[in-house]
Amino acid sequence: MKWSGGHDNSEGSDDDMYKINRYLKLKEKLKELRTIALTGIAEAGSGHPGASFSAAEIMGCLYFQIMNNDLKHPHNPNRDYFINSKAHSAPGYYATLSLVGSFPKEEIKTLRKLNSRLQGHPVRYSEMQKHHSVPGIEYSGGSEGIGLSVSIGICLANKLDKRDNMVYCLLGDGETNEGQIWEASMAAAKFKLNNLIAILDRNKIQQDGFTEEIMPIDPVKEKWLSFNWEVVEINGHKIEQLIPELLRRPTDKPKIIIANTVKGNGIKHMANNPQWHGKAPSKKHLPLLVRELEGEYLISPSIIAGADGISEESLEQKIVTAERHGADMIHLDVMDGNFVPNSTFFFDTIKKLRDRTKLPFDAHLMIQNPASVLDQYIDAGCDIITVHAETCGNEQEFERINFKLVSSGVSPGLAVNPGTELPGWIFSHLDNLDVIIIMSVNPGFAGQKFIPEVLPKMKKVIPLLREQGFKGYFEADGGIDQSTITQCFDAGCRIFVMGNAVFGHSDVDKRIRETRFLLDSYLEKSLLDESQSLNLEEDWIKGRRNIIEQFNLSR
Amino acid sequence: MVKYELNPLTASDIKFSDMRSAYGDSLVNLGKKYPNIVCVGGDTTDSLKTKKFGEKFPDRLFNVGIAEANLVSIAAGLAIAGKVSFASTYAAFIPGRCLDQIRNAICYPNLDVKIVVSHAGLSVGPDGASHQQIEDISIMRSLPNMRVLVPADAISVKKLLEKIVHIPGPFYVRLARPSTEEIYSEESNFEIGKGTIIKDGNDISLFSCGTMVSASLKASDIMKKDHNISCRVVDIYSVKPIDSELIYKCTKETGSLASVEEHNIVGGLGSAISEVTSEICPTFVRKIGIRDRYGESARDEEIDSLLDKYGLSPGEIVKNVVALKKSEKK
Repeated sequence: MKWSGGHDNSEGSDDDMYKINRYLKLKEKLKELRTIALTGIAEAGSGHPGASFSAAEIMGCLYFQIMNNDLKHPHNPNRDYFINSKAHSAPGYYATLSLVGSFPKEEIKTLRKLNSRLQGHPVRYSEMQKHHSVPGIEYSGGSEGIGLSVSIGICLANKLDKRDNMVYCLLGDGETNEGQIWEASMAAAKFKLNNLIAILDRNKIQQDGFTEEIMPIDPVKEKWLSFNWEVVEINGHKIEQLIPELLRRPTDKPKIIIANTVKGNGIKHMANNPQWHGKAPSKKHLPLLVRELEGEYLISPSIIAGADGISEESLEQKIVTAERHGADMIHLDVMDGNFVPNSTFFFDTIKKLRDRTKLPFDAHLMIQNPASVLDQYIDAGCDIITVHAETCGNEQEFERINFKLVSSGVSPGLAVNPGTELPGWIFSHLDNLDVIIIMSVNPGFAGQKFIPEVLPKMKKVIPLLREQGFKGYFEADGGIDQSTITQCFDAGCRIFVMGNAVFGHSDVDKRIRETRFLLDSYLEKSLLDESQSLNLEEDWIKGRRNIIEQFNLSR
Repeated sequence: MVKYELNPLTASDIKFSDMRSAYGDSLVNLGKKYPNIVCVGGDTTDSLKTKKFGEKFPDRLFNVGIAEANLVSIAAGLAIAGKVSFASTYAAFIPGRCLDQIRNAICYPNLDVKIVVSHAGLSVGPDGASHQQIEDISIMRSLPNMRVLVPADAISVKKLLEKIVHIPGPFYVRLARPSTEEIYSEESNFEIGKGTIIKDGNDISLFSCGTMVSASLKASDIMKKDHNISCRVVDIYSVKPIDSELIYKCTKETGSLASVEEHNIVGGLGSAISEVTSEICPTFVRKIGIRDRYGESARDEEIDSLLDKYGLSPGEIVKNVVALKKSEKK
């Protein structure tokens, strides 16, 4: 189903209305958001990385996909409003704004410095404050607990003027210690503000330590329910959970999304660590941290694998299992028995499976003439659709497919078989391509062996494409298991399709955990190597050792 | 023109009116003219007379209950979305309970919020010191972007409100609970940043604001009659921005100055005047006000005595001025 392109006002809409627009593009932007924020904090020598990172997905999804905000006319009365009540997430907020064109990304290096537009806490943009603010900032934050009340004022004005724009208010969990939050909570319910969505960044850490030790706010869900709000609870780092809830308007009362997050999420020694609430990383470490952010990967189990076959029941079972055990996506191998010597399932099956999970569907079409059935796969709810270069015929055909996918909000992918070279025309389409698969088996059956000759091919092609400006993902598909995965990671792949390596074993949970441990350790090791080459080894180990030890303990 | 000059004080001429009703009526009139005016109240809409606005425009008055921090912040939100928002309750609670919100959510972003409070000063009466707001001028004056108005009678209230709805940015307007003597006429003119010489004199300039303007006029009459002191009475309804030109002029023409306010002498009108004189025309500024202590309860019929006890009656003003003139002669 087509992406609705903003919040939806129609009644009785089904889940299809709340789809993500280009899942992988969004992931890529969120990575950039974190990099920009971290650069700003490191340059400034102070700031709050923890809150910037726990709220990164929330702010990114709002600005990149949900809100109607035209920064050329920042005071357009029909705009959606974002009130950042937990304003110490400023670096993340600024990074978000820079990515939607509020100001040049380079300017993040002026954060918190004298004569900067990027003040320590954001300032409402106006003619008077234009030297201390950037377009898009609605609210001067910094003093906790005020933003929800301000949001209420905006909602009341919007209702009075019969405008249906939304107000999104980001709250910190520590911030809800403030009594004013509960004054506001009462008032929003009294005024039945169904044009208000608050998002609680529930990272469970405040300046002095863990929230439940400093000032317990649990049971937080029950509190808001008893204040007569609509309450939903989600994982605040999963965009497939965030986007539908940010899009779905409440019916007759205000809504709060309790977004369970990890403070400092993205950098292992900052994650869930109260010490990193308001501490800046050393500028020297920045290249290492950026490398760590670039190391983020996605595991995409292929549900055709495993001994229990591909009956609908079994596929469904595997989806549920994969989601429960922390897979990032579901890989769907569509085979037509023509382009490849095997036949699996088609769009009708995918459509039936769609509501079994919120995880993105990563569909890999190994079929002749994919253009002729593209609409059905889009309609079935695929988030990523990868077609084979061998089946596209020529550049014009690919262009048509690509255009359709992009305009439908689907992440477009291109795959090549082990023996196929990437077509030359790909270089003029890199901006509109979200994923490239360099197959490491000849597709057709699950359980094949990794073809080692593919590695040098990856190592040749991937840097070349990066050089040409490709920012999307490389997906490793075919014979990926614990013996081959780190080599593909090393070559630059960040999405890993795993079939029998996951479903070929009874303990799926253990397999996924082991795989993650393997990749995390590999990344850790490569960061250490890098620190050596930067002459920072001792420093890096000191700042990181505890975390590495925690890793070993958690195994 | 000032009515007082046209009609020298006789008991039968004195008319009393109440600032809060003037506020309520003005708000209704302004609301008819300007649909973007809204009002936020805090369980005191009856007392503040903003209820009238709510009766006329039910969807434009928001009563948020007893929650002042929320009240002023909601007013800020309404202003962000393009409204001219009036935020009103007792002076004891705004700014008493929400300085941070006024500072960060209203003044810093310079939003169009007009804070109009009532029951300022000792003259609240029976409720006692908890409700007698005597620090607000000082607090509000120190906030960048904030302007502070202290009208003396019902007409000033009306005229000043008509002015400020056209001036973007925050205002703090301080009203008193009791009815006050009418000083001005419909023809009187008010400007933000200006003061008015209500009664001329050569020996001393008495600067006052709010309820103390009429007390100063009475004191001036007594001084003329009993002490042959010619006392100029100046209404500084705009405490911030303050009319420094007028202060300069008065210093040059009358020499010494005195200030009269129903407020702590720390940081109030007297301080504001001293800030000007000490920079551009050094002179004595005798500060007549509450001398850095808390007030106490008094029944409505005892309010004159209460003010007298705290040095704010016409008689006390006279005593102070006479003492100042004596010390100057030495």
